[in-house]
Amino acid sequence: VQPPEKPLQAEEWNKLREDFQLPEVFEEVMLNSMIRCNSPIDVAKSLLTHLAKHNGDIAYKVLVKYLTLCVQQGQVSEILDVYDIMKARFKILESGAYNLLIKGLSNSDQWRMALTLLEEVKTSMIPSRTCYESCIKAASRHQEMKLAFELYNEMLAKDVVPTLDVLQSFFDFSRGMKGAELQKELFGILLYLRENQLYPHKTFMRSIKLWFESIPGGNWRGHLTNIKDSGQCPVCNHQLEDSNLTDEEYRNLSERIIKDVIHGTDTFRKTSPKEFEAFQTFVEDRLPFDIVIDGLNVSHIKSRKMQCENLFDAVNCLAKENARLLVLGRKHMLMNSSNWKREIMKEMQNKADFFFAENISEDDAFLLYATLRSGKHCRFVTRDFLRDHKACLSDTLTRHLFRKWQRGHQIVKSKKLCFSSVFSQQPAFRYDCVVQTTGDTWHIPYKNVFEEKYSYQVPRKWLCIQQK
Amino acid sequence: MHSANMLLRKTVSSVLPFAAQHGMKKDLFPLSRTLSLSHCLKQDKSCEPSEKLDLDEWKKVMRSGLQEEVGETVSEPKELSSLAAARETLEMWRLAGRAVPENISEEQLKTFMECPSKSAKKKYLKYLHVKELYKKSDKRKMDEKRERRLEAQDQASETDETKKSSFLCMWSSTMDKAYNWRAAQSMIFGQPLVFDMSYEKEMSMREVTNTVRQIVMSESCNRRSVDPFHIHFCNFKDDSLYHREFVKHYREAWSKLLITVTDQCYTEIFPKDKLIYLTADSPKVMKTFDHDKIYIVGSMVDKSIKTGVSLARAKRLGLETAALPLEKYLLWSTGAKNLTLDQMMHILLTLKDTADWKKALEFVPKRKYCGFVDKPVKELKKTLELINTLKRGKRQEVEKQFARNYPKK
Repeated sequence: VQPPEKPLQAEEWNKLREDFQLPEVFEEVMLNSMIRCNSPIDVAKSLLTHLAKHNGDIAYKVLVKYLTLCVQQGQVSEILDVYDIMKARFKILESGAYNLLIKGLSNSDQWRMALTLLEEVKTSMIPSRTCYESCIKAASRHQEMKLAFELYNEMLAKDVVPTLDVLQSFFDFSRGMKGAELQKELFGILLYLRENQLYPHKTFMRSIKLWFESIPGGNWRGHLTNIKDSGQCPVCNHQLEDSNLTDEEYRNLSERIIKDVIHGTDTFRKTSPKEFEAFQTFVEDRLPFDIVIDGLNVSHIKSRKMQCENLFDAVNCLAKENARLLVLGRKHMLMNSSNWKREIMKEMQNKADFFFAENISEDDAFLLYATLRSGKHCRFVTRDFLRDHKACLSDTLTRHLFRKWQRGHQIVKSKKLCFSSVFSQQPAFRYDCVVQTTGDTWHIPYKNVFEEKYSYQVPRKWLCIQQK
Repeated sequence: MHSANMLLRKTVSSVLPFAAQHGMKKDLFPLSRTLSLSHCLKQDKSCEPSEKLDLDEWKKVMRSGLQEEVGETVSEPKELSSLAAARETLEMWRLAGRAVPENISEEQLKTFMECPSKSAKKKYLKYLHVKELYKKSDKRKMDEKRERRLEAQDQASETDETKKSSFLCMWSSTMDKAYNWRAAQSMIFGQPLVFDMSYEKEMSMREVTNTVRQIVMSESCNRRSVDPFHIHFCNFKDDSLYHREFVKHYREAWSKLLITVTDQCYTEIFPKDKLIYLTADSPKVMKTFDHDKIYIVGSMVDKSIKTGVSLARAKRLGLETAALPLEKYLLWSTGAKNLTLDQMMHILLTLKDTADWKKALEFVPKRKYCGFVDKPVKELKKTLELINTLKRGKRQEVEKQFARNYPKK
């Protein structure tokens, strides 16, 4: 329906309503289209007046719709009126109305009213993230950074996840402001990005850069750059953090993999205790390996070739450097068949150690175990992204560790380079792709705004900030 | 309220003559109806000053209606108990037009409050809402049916003719007796079929409820069959969730069911080499139905598909496993290969009676497969791909493919 352009009289509304095929929902549909067309508020008012006279009451739904229109147009006095009416009419309000009220008021000079509303919300529920965001933005817009950070910390404490947008607003509005406390808080946001492996987008990155450069007496300079494969920053020659996990992290990850991925709720789901024990003794006898290969996965790289030939190529290619290899496979590979020739299998077994799991066991779990057990230098070969195994890990922190370790240790055969990281056409990363600092330098990876990035990929562009 | 109604009456009466005039105008120019109404109204506006319209009048109405109510609410205690608060919130959500049930019991409200996240709450409420809708429509249909039956009775009594029939009227109780006789026989001579009731820990409350409903359906279709299985519920713990749900379904009939319920494991009752665990994850495919074996079905509904749970159980006990030959006989299109328990029961019963896979696999839901395999699989796969691309609306590609596959001679 096309909303009218001017306020209508009651009987005109009646007429329109009668012409509408579903008179019961007429008001809702009409208000929705008013919101869509951003109709003048007087038109909506005339509809409400008509409704009020006709029914003696206005439904909550309709009031919320009207409120949406008011918020959309920033009609502050109307928002306050609607709030008064709602407050008097209903004992409590639901989150949708609160979101709208807070959003509407925070954009006006009545923004402190939004804060009191936020307090009101807190008494009955956890405020939504839009509520917090509106309030934080309002506070920082009025240079009340302390208040904004209080709200931000409160939000984090309640496990409400902030958007990058809000984080960016902190940097935008603190530009040129002095204060050690403020600086600490903003560094805290950068560390939040680091801990959660978040990457700012280009405009956010620019805000960070401008803020750094605007710190009075800070002498910070920022440059955009690409990091070399060696992990050295071309601008300041600083060596980025190693992709290797710390000893504790490494131990932690190994334990979690054995507990969550291999055993899980029931060891029999992926293997059997007997088989796993046999595998453990097998691995312990031959430690450490340099490269662990997922035999079945590698054997499918080229579909035109015979499966054992694919595997043979991979083993030959990797065995050249005198590396100790372990190939994981399943028992059916030992049966002489069209895809698995016995002679080739024999020849391969001279160059690498082989372990054959039962046909119904999962070899990926063994792959992870053998690699982790061999130590930090050991890498593994498979095209599989191992998402399902990552999903078995119970907490986010360990999942991050897993991804980080995987980025540094998983390689796959590609056309040009012989073996490279599975995530991009690059050698496995030797540096860690995460926000990092040494005190007088900051290195921040960022992504282009419109660049499509898969969650497993990491950005290639960096912001280097150093203090002169 | 009163004042509002008074106001309403006044305005309506004052406005009526205008409406009549307005309506007449319309009739004089029938063409303008087809034009945009708002445009037409706008023209009316221009000659009619809008001073009459008080745009903020609705606020007065809303506030005036209030004053009476405020008097009532003041006396109420301000602090609400958490349950009452939740009820209040739900009421507001309902007013806001969300999918929320109209009536909610104390127990449901508690379940609602225990939901761990916002989305869990939303889902639970939607479930209750839909359930309520179904109940309502069922009730409406029942009422309609009753009315129709009464009408039919009235008409019948008018004609009033007693029909004579050479057959006795078979009441359902007679049928039940016959069924029970057969079930009792199966308890002595029938082939055992085991339901493994040890999955309670892997399931949520809803899943257990669904499982029990499926088993109840399986049991009834088994009882009605010509040659029923002797059903065993193994690993069945008293006072478990399963037990409570079964009692809910069967009431007092639970203790009279002609099945064997035990807390023992099937390995303790039957020789191990005769047991076959049916699971979709099994690497082995069932070729024929063996009348000497004892088949085990896991009583589990897994909405979040947990692969390998029942296979793990069979592996642990060292039992033989088997999967239905779905791939071999059906051209599978979508959906998981795990079937519901009542479908399994239908399939097994049919196999037992006829050994005809085609007939048995008719009970696989139609949406999951495209047809029976009667041609070489390769050819069928081609047609399946064609169908799928057609579904996606890539007509041109299909035509090209068609031209490639079937070149004009």
